[in-house]
Amino acid sequence: MVKNTTEVLLNKAPPVRRSDGIIEEFDKERIVRSLIKETKLAEILFGVPPIKEEEARKIANEVEEDIKKMNLKFLSGPLIRELVSVKLLEKGYHIYRNVYTRVGMPLYDVYLIDLSEGYEARENANLQPNPETFHKKKADFLSKESYLLMMPLRIADAHLKGDIHIHDLEYWGTRPFCQDHDLRYFFYYGLMPDGTGTHTSVAGPAKHPEVAILHAAKVLGAAQTNFAGGQGFFNFTVFMAPYLRGLDDRKIHQLAQMFLYEMTQLYVARGGQPVFSSIQIEAGVPKIWQDAPVVYKGKIWKDRYGDYEDEVHKFALALLDEYIKGDAVGKMFNFPKPEVVQRVRYWKEKEDVMLKAAQLSAKFGSTYYDNLIPSYRGGEDGVSCFQCCAYSFSEDGKSEEFKKKLYFEDGAHFSMGGMQVITINLPRIAYKSKDEDEMYEILRETMDIAKEALLLKYNIMIRQYEKGLIPFASQRPRGAPPAVNIRELVLIIGFVGMNEMMQHMTGYELHEHPEAQKLALKVLIEMDRIKDEYIKETGLKFAIARTPAESCAQRFAITDLIHYPDYAKKYVKGDLEKALSLWRETTDLPIYYTNGSHVNVSARIPLYERMRIEEKFFPILKGGNIFHIWLGEANPDPEAILKLNKKIAMESWIGYWSHTKDITLCTSCGFIGGGLYENCPICHSKEIKMYSRITGYYQEVDSWNTAKKQELKDRYRIKLSE
Amino acid sequence: MILYAAEVIPISFSDYPKEPCCVIFLAGCNFNCGYCQNWKLKKISKEYETNIEKIKEMISKNNLITACKITGGEPLLQHEAVIEIGKFVKSLKLKFGIDTNASLPNALRKVIPLLDLISIDIKAALNRDAYLKIIGVDPPLSSIKESLEIALKSNAYVDIRIPVIPGYNDDSETIRSIEKTLIELGYEEKAEKNMASITLLEFVPENAHFEEFKKLRNPSLEDLMKLKSYFKIKNVKISHRLYSNYG
Repeated sequence: MVKNTTEVLLNKAPPVRRSDGIIEEFDKERIVRSLIKETKLAEILFGVPPIKEEEARKIANEVEEDIKKMNLKFLSGPLIRELVSVKLLEKGYHIYRNVYTRVGMPLYDVYLIDLSEGYEARENANLQPNPETFHKKKADFLSKESYLLMMPLRIADAHLKGDIHIHDLEYWGTRPFCQDHDLRYFFYYGLMPDGTGTHTSVAGPAKHPEVAILHAAKVLGAAQTNFAGGQGFFNFTVFMAPYLRGLDDRKIHQLAQMFLYEMTQLYVARGGQPVFSSIQIEAGVPKIWQDAPVVYKGKIWKDRYGDYEDEVHKFALALLDEYIKGDAVGKMFNFPKPEVVQRVRYWKEKEDVMLKAAQLSAKFGSTYYDNLIPSYRGGEDGVSCFQCCAYSFSEDGKSEEFKKKLYFEDGAHFSMGGMQVITINLPRIAYKSKDEDEMYEILRETMDIAKEALLLKYNIMIRQYEKGLIPFASQRPRGAPPAVNIRELVLIIGFVGMNEMMQHMTGYELHEHPEAQKLALKVLIEMDRIKDEYIKETGLKFAIARTPAESCAQRFAITDLIHYPDYAKKYVKGDLEKALSLWRETTDLPIYYTNGSHVNVSARIPLYERMRIEEKFFPILKGGNIFHIWLGEANPDPEAILKLNKKIAMESWIGYWSHTKDITLCTSCGFIGGGLYENCPICHSKEIKMYSRITGYYQEVDSWNTAKKQELKDRYRIKLSE
Repeated sequence: MILYAAEVIPISFSDYPKEPCCVIFLAGCNFNCGYCQNWKLKKISKEYETNIEKIKEMISKNNLITACKITGGEPLLQHEAVIEIGKFVKSLKLKFGIDTNASLPNALRKVIPLLDLISIDIKAALNRDAYLKIIGVDPPLSSIKESLEIALKSNAYVDIRIPVIPGYNDDSETIRSIEKTLIELGYEEKAEKNMASITLLEFVPENAHFEEFKKLRNPSLEDLMKLKSYFKIKNVKISHRLYSNYG
């Protein structure tokens, strides 16, 4: 490149192509002004005073001298900015550099995203490659990078190094995590999808059953635009029941089917995907709701939910029938996740619902069992939500506040959900410690970082909420209390790799020795104790839960291979050899840590033994946990599954479980059947799609990340296919 | 007691009607079926030697099952072990069942008081040529008939299982001949009480023992439906990867 003669002669900086599309002369005053303006962010975010004017001017001068020496034909805004950033780093101004730098991604990566390759092409199996998704990926990249720059260095570093994992980082500054909604609120106040009624039409309370169903679907769709994670309805069948009075069975089935189609075809959430949704299916009216007044058609009525036992029962059966039928081509409805509540009374009086739930497990594996029977779940007196990821929240059944909510006094209602999940890397904690005592210290330090991050998130969310920037959550139709009580959302500390932590500490995996199980329990109890301290100290809701860990079980395995290779090589699960051979090419590697406090998925132990180990952890995790039963058979007998379910419900501490059935769909001949096949067993075509439960939901295997695919291979089925 | 057992499946949802059961695979078989998918268990070998106490322990610890089933190989070749396991299983108030090829009526007579379920494989029409082609040894036809009679007269639930192998036994004559035999031996009366059924099984060529069987195709769901329609007697079921008995 030849430089413009005049510029060389005058020793002048070349013209600048600004990123907003203007070409202009280089002007160092712009650097001075932008430095002064933008480093104000250092004060807002980190309490560091902004740069002084003379220092800014000095930097601008030096940058100008450097540019002149570079002999360039033209400059761009981003280039100058990076030169200033380098200067800031040279002078030791790390914080100024953090707030002054540009965020963005290499052009090459942008190019790949449009082809559905490269950056996080498989981070979330629910994201189908489509134009909305590509847009979201670019926005995600930008958001993730900038949020890491905007948080204290030690939190960002802990995340990047793999001590902790900040979930849904792309939504760090904008969205709380998940919410289980109280349908009565919308049946009383009506629906404003945008939360303000200015951008969308405003609907009065539903008067007809079809409208009630559509409103329910739209509540979840609208809420999804405000939240990062799952949206659901607790007590769904109970709150819907008043609308169903006097309808025949055919009509009730029609409504149930309508809801399932709405939830799987509203293909609009977060960059083109269905809403991550769930519904709680009660077979009858729970004891605490028996005397609560019915709320629908915009009024609180004299009759009680207890009067609607029959409608609740019929609706539960109809929903399960429609799930069992599947869609028009016989495929399963993977959303909304059906959470079938287990109560002693239902096993006596509503076994027909329990049987249909088992039939659905046998056919598609889609049922989730929400077991309120164990004493730690609060039995008949609790209100719970398992949401998307098996987190559970319950409210104290005795408080006045609780009763007001139960009776919908002045619009008081339940709003349950999570604010944010931060997962801690348990194996890493073990690697860092020389003995058990030190392990507890490092556990505490790691949890403290998670706590600090969670409090930061909390404050950001309160700010956004109060400015009306989470409008669906903060809506107050007709002076009602806000739809979502943001201050009640739970700060969740998750964990991954209890099994590998024990392997390092005791020499045994969880299934290999009682000593490993004992220490695991001790660690969990300690985590629970620390969590209680946080609650006391802050007055906020904290919880410990198993993390779904769709991508972080893989990320921790990889970061530990980088930082603690000698240990990690011994303990990571999956195909280490293959991972090492692909090391330089990709970060989507077939290795992982075991989720939460689960037993190694490939452990060759009978189901009852795995249950005896894993059930011990449930009372501490208060049900924020899941027990997986991997079915290996094409056509399990539903009544056999029913009997197993009864045993688990009545005789174990398992608070939440599901049966996972692998399913193959042939797009060439239409075969849908149990088991995973590389070729269609009927027409031998290779045009097949395989489905399985990735962590807390079903999705096509092809869209899974490589570690999760490896885990699928490693899972030890209850029965190996014959 | 020492027995020859190859494998235990701790819990299965498809080997015992309506019950989650554990399945014990005993080694050794007196047939040599080309289609067999458990052919590796045919020979009794040293590696399968197991102390019966170990099996009992596995059953008693397993609190998730409501039934236990013994299969093989041919379990009745080790009928004393079957009896001992059966007594133990019954003492735990679990249901007890076996699979058998019906070739050992004397052993069956000893075991039958313990059984809640007996699954009998009938591989073809009960004539020498048809049976020989499938089982590879001279068929003990009178023993098979005798076993069927014992089973159908017993208090146990009887499931007659027919592995459908295209070109071998998937024709209307076979079905009518099997049906005739079953009627003679008292199937209808038992089926009337819902204590007997027939199951048409999908044969899976990939897992077959002999090359000539591996080359066959699996029967389609329609094939099985058609065969089912040839039966006049009741309680005929289908077991196919594409089909479940609950819609």
